[in-house]
Amino acid sequence: MRAAALALAFAALPALGFAQIGNPGFMAPDTRFDAQGMPEPNQPNANDILFAQLVAEGGMAEVALAELAVERAGAEAVTDFASRMIEDHSAANDELAGLAEASGIPLPDGLNAEHQAMRDRLEGMEGAEFDLAYMRGQIVDHQKTTQLLMWEITAGQDADLQRFAAATLPTILDHLRAAQGIVADLTTDRVAEAAPAADGN
Amino acid sequence: MSRTVTVGMCSIVALAASAAAAISDPLPPTTTYRQLPTMPFSRAMEIDSTQKPQVMERQRTMLDARYDLSDQPMDGVMMSGGRRAVQDGVRVRLPEGQTWDSLAAMTPQEIRDGDLLPDGFKPLPHVKQANSGQIFPQFVIDEINAQEDRDLTRFDADFDLPDHVLPEFPPPIFLTTHTHLGDVSRGELLTIKNHYEIMNGILTPVQMEGLRILLTPFPQEEFNQTEDRKTAEQHRGIACLDCHSNFNTNAGFHHTPDVRPQAARFRLDSPSLRGMFNQQIHGSKRSLRSIEDFTEFEQHTAYFNGDHVSAARKGEHIPDRSHKVAFMAQMQNIIDFPPAPKLDPMGRLDPDLATEQELLGEQVFMGKGQCAACHIPVESFMDHQMHDLKLERFYAPGEVVNDFVLLPDGPIKTFTLRGIKDTPPYMHDGRLMTLADTVEFFNLVLRTQLTQDEKDALVAYMLTL
Repeated sequence: MRAAALALAFAALPALGFAQIGNPGFMAPDTRFDAQGMPEPNQPNANDILFAQLVAEGGMAEVALAELAVERAGAEAVTDFASRMIEDHSAANDELAGLAEASGIPLPDGLNAEHQAMRDRLEGMEGAEFDLAYMRGQIVDHQKTTQLLMWEITAGQDADLQRFAAATLPTILDHLRAAQGIVADLTTDRVAEAAPAADGN
Repeated sequence: MSRTVTVGMCSIVALAASAAAAISDPLPPTTTYRQLPTMPFSRAMEIDSTQKPQVMERQRTMLDARYDLSDQPMDGVMMSGGRRAVQDGVRVRLPEGQTWDSLAAMTPQEIRDGDLLPDGFKPLPHVKQANSGQIFPQFVIDEINAQEDRDLTRFDADFDLPDHVLPEFPPPIFLTTHTHLGDVSRGELLTIKNHYEIMNGILTPVQMEGLRILLTPFPQEEFNQTEDRKTAEQHRGIACLDCHSNFNTNAGFHHTPDVRPQAARFRLDSPSLRGMFNQQIHGSKRSLRSIEDFTEFEQHTAYFNGDHVSAARKGEHIPDRSHKVAFMAQMQNIIDFPPAPKLDPMGRLDPDLATEQELLGEQVFMGKGQCAACHIPVESFMDHQMHDLKLERFYAPGEVVNDFVLLPDGPIKTFTLRGIKDTPPYMHDGRLMTLADTVEFFNLVLRTQLTQDEKDALVAYMLTL
């Protein structure tokens, strides 16, 4: 029920008026199509399933690491960024969970080894050291998510998931730009602190 | 003792390996590589054909929102062969409530924040992003089919722009070796069936062999014999000059081979091969340093999308570097630009031949308009560099249009402006329909604040090139 409401909400977005049109050659042979040759809803192919699982795990890690950052970050910009990650990714995670449920896709219930290792490492840090390690990890995670979302747009066949990918992409790109800006500021500050005073004393 | 140490060492190695594995879970393979088909060919064709009307309607809707595509020929201005009129006017539609002057008065940030960049200035989507590959205008399909009984019709998508905004067909052919002859095409489209009769007595044996290979069809990603094709029949493939008609262009388009995943691949409008002898870098993204490299590598790129893995099973044909590639390159290197009688040997207007307006246009081109910074007259209006126009200053990347993600273009090769009236649409993806569109585009991007008289003069000047 909730999933249906979300799907309607996405379908109503004006910029996404036309459905994604995939390459039928790459679709599962048992796919059911409507009269226009479009896959009927909620028939994920292997790519949709993998996409939903990878993005769900990534989204979960976003929130888990951001919660750590809110406790341990030194710079205000990092705390603000982490709060935004909690807000944006919690919302996206909820949406994705609804769409996955509607399509019968099981989602992971814990962090993968990569993010678990990242969390373990970050738990041993605080302040400026934490800030850089967390933010650099955020850049890589958002780069990977960007490529995954783009992959889903043409490689998937579950229209709701494809619309989710398209609708989420600008936000992820925005997060990536913000993370790069914060890392640039943090490293500039660090270099400035280490540099000798301008008068040479 | 020694056994314990060995076990201990193994554990350390294993730990190191697992730590490395934990940070390197790769993205799915089909983000980079082409997927193998999962649907039987006949069924895929049926579904593609069923989708086609919707695919074309979606593209038409997008194009109509971006451009005025009506037929408005410029009075008395024809392309070099006299077969098609040059189109007039700015065709990119303005956002509601804006004028070109009001936009030019804003900062890039204001335009970006207000979402005011005309959509026609943004990257142009391929007709069917997921399927990709070459799409030919119908007049090209008809002529090649008539001559060679080789049908370039696709069951999944058709060409999307009207004929009158495209280059003339068939285009004239000018040879650097025979400037005294003028156009040697006889008004025909060169094909594997007629080229010998038309060119014997003009070309050398080496050039003739290069031409023959450039006209020989070879399997391509969407035109081949496998179930992963988009033609009804098992297909012989395409020839280099299927897109570069008579060594110019017919505006057939493709996808960049240089970007993944698929949704991020931008459209490529086939460039003309005229003036190849002076062009030092090739490929809008690849910056290959010789036409020999480009000719050899096109089998991996135009033919197979930068995927040599997929190519291997569909029948890739790599021409022999020391012989065939050299022959093909020598043939391409004698293709001249169309005559430009008003230009002197330095590429500047002869004041005795040019009009006042054309001379004003040249002045703007060299000065206020900043065009000549990259389009250097004496270097065939190129600079052999790639430049990033940073269009993303004016819009927020990430919007998805017809399954294509609008992303920053990054550095792109400078194209020649010699013979520019013969090669619409413009920019690497063909997003601009007329020369007047290019003037408005660069006036905004370079923030040059040109007056209407200066804009009109620039168009008049470009018609003399």
